[in-house]
Amino acid sequence: MAIRKIAETVADRTKFAILSLAELAKQPRYLIVGILAFLVFLYLLTFFRDGGSNWQLIWSGLPLGDKLGVLGRVWRDILDNFTSFYGVSIIFMSLFQGTIIMQLVFTWKNRERDKAIDGASTGTIAAILGFITLGCPSCGVGLLSALLSAIAGTGAAVLAEQIGLILIIIAFILMIYTIIRLGYIDYIIISSEKAKETHAKSN
Amino acid sequence: MQKAIRIGALVAVVGFLVALMVLNAGKNNDMNTWNAAMTKGDPATAQHHYIMYTDIFCPYCDKFSHAVSAHLAEFDKDYIEDKKILFEIRVTDMNYENGHSNNSRPAGLAAYCAAKQNNFWDYYYNLINKLYDDYHSKGIGAERDSPRHIPNLELSYFYEAADGTNLNKDQFVQCVEKEETAKELDNNTRRAYNTAQGLPYFVFDKYTVSGMAGTWNADNDWEQVKLMLNAGLTTK
Repeated sequence: MAIRKIAETVADRTKFAILSLAELAKQPRYLIVGILAFLVFLYLLTFFRDGGSNWQLIWSGLPLGDKLGVLGRVWRDILDNFTSFYGVSIIFMSLFQGTIIMQLVFTWKNRERDKAIDGASTGTIAAILGFITLGCPSCGVGLLSALLSAIAGTGAAVLAEQIGLILIIIAFILMIYTIIRLGYIDYIIISSEKAKETHAKSN
Repeated sequence: MQKAIRIGALVAVVGFLVALMVLNAGKNNDMNTWNAAMTKGDPATAQHHYIMYTDIFCPYCDKFSHAVSAHLAEFDKDYIEDKKILFEIRVTDMNYENGHSNNSRPAGLAAYCAAKQNNFWDYYYNLINKLYDDYHSKGIGAERDSPRHIPNLELSYFYEAADGTNLNKDQFVQCVEKEETAKELDNNTRRAYNTAQGLPYFVFDKYTVSGMAGTWNADNDWEQVKLMLNAGLTTK
């Protein structure tokens, strides 16, 4: 019975979150914020998707023109995200982070700052988890592998793949939780604004 | 107060991770050649020593070698010859040892067997291209956690890669079957653990890096390879 009630609540809040997102997307300034945040995350996640090799090139002795070329090539690599499961998960992660940022800005602007900070904390944790899992954990390339090998030696690479998968799942759960939570708050804000407007008109 | 604690915790986590990465970075670069047959270039006149630590069943390593293989003449002329680079590949079976690919063991043994007959390069690029045609080009075993997605291969697969090379096939088959190069492979894998921060790991003079950005498009990846090679020439 309790499980059914929780499921109903989650379903309702998800519905309200979707409705509020549709409202936010109709407002160009929030839509632009969301798209920009999506592109920033997509760029950064793609930049680091194969470990730190791009990063190392930026810090190498290459001439400035070549370094700018490295930064520019990432835009082309973004298109290759569509060709693999890993790449598609990067796109979805960026999409969710862009949505969270859009919701955060709206919530913050509407004076629900404590709730915005709560959402920002969870969103940031999800983003950090996302970045940790980038690279090739089973090859020992990436932040997660560095972390595990420092704690448990090189043999820990065998765990990296499984841990990486678990962290990605946790990151997605946290992002979806944040989107639903902030979406529900935004729905209340939007509804109350609409009620005020209707009330003002009727007077 | 609660907000300050939260921000502090986040900064601490990020700082901890960055510190771990820095502490883990580049150690014990062993610049003496391990196996002369696995080098390209003239050691007598070379002005640069480039080393690549690899496992033949590491997808990002193969991405690098596949791009080089597709532009071999340019690589040999513009870098090995003109820039006087000694290029060395250090083959390991790390992915076998860490349980990610049973194939990495016979591949490593075969590579050292080919080196034993002084025919490493032809065999190596044949095997890389065969793996590309059979698996990587189809998206199998081509990404981060996917070396295990290539099925366990029969030894005959590694013998087929010797076709078209000057290897004495009978000697080669015997060498692989009797694991004549096992000691060298094991020894070099252990040595690689002292240096390589994951695979592939490149020591191009003063420029060291692990990982390989790329898309399995040989032309696009060659651009990335050239940047890495040039970074070795320009990093002081």
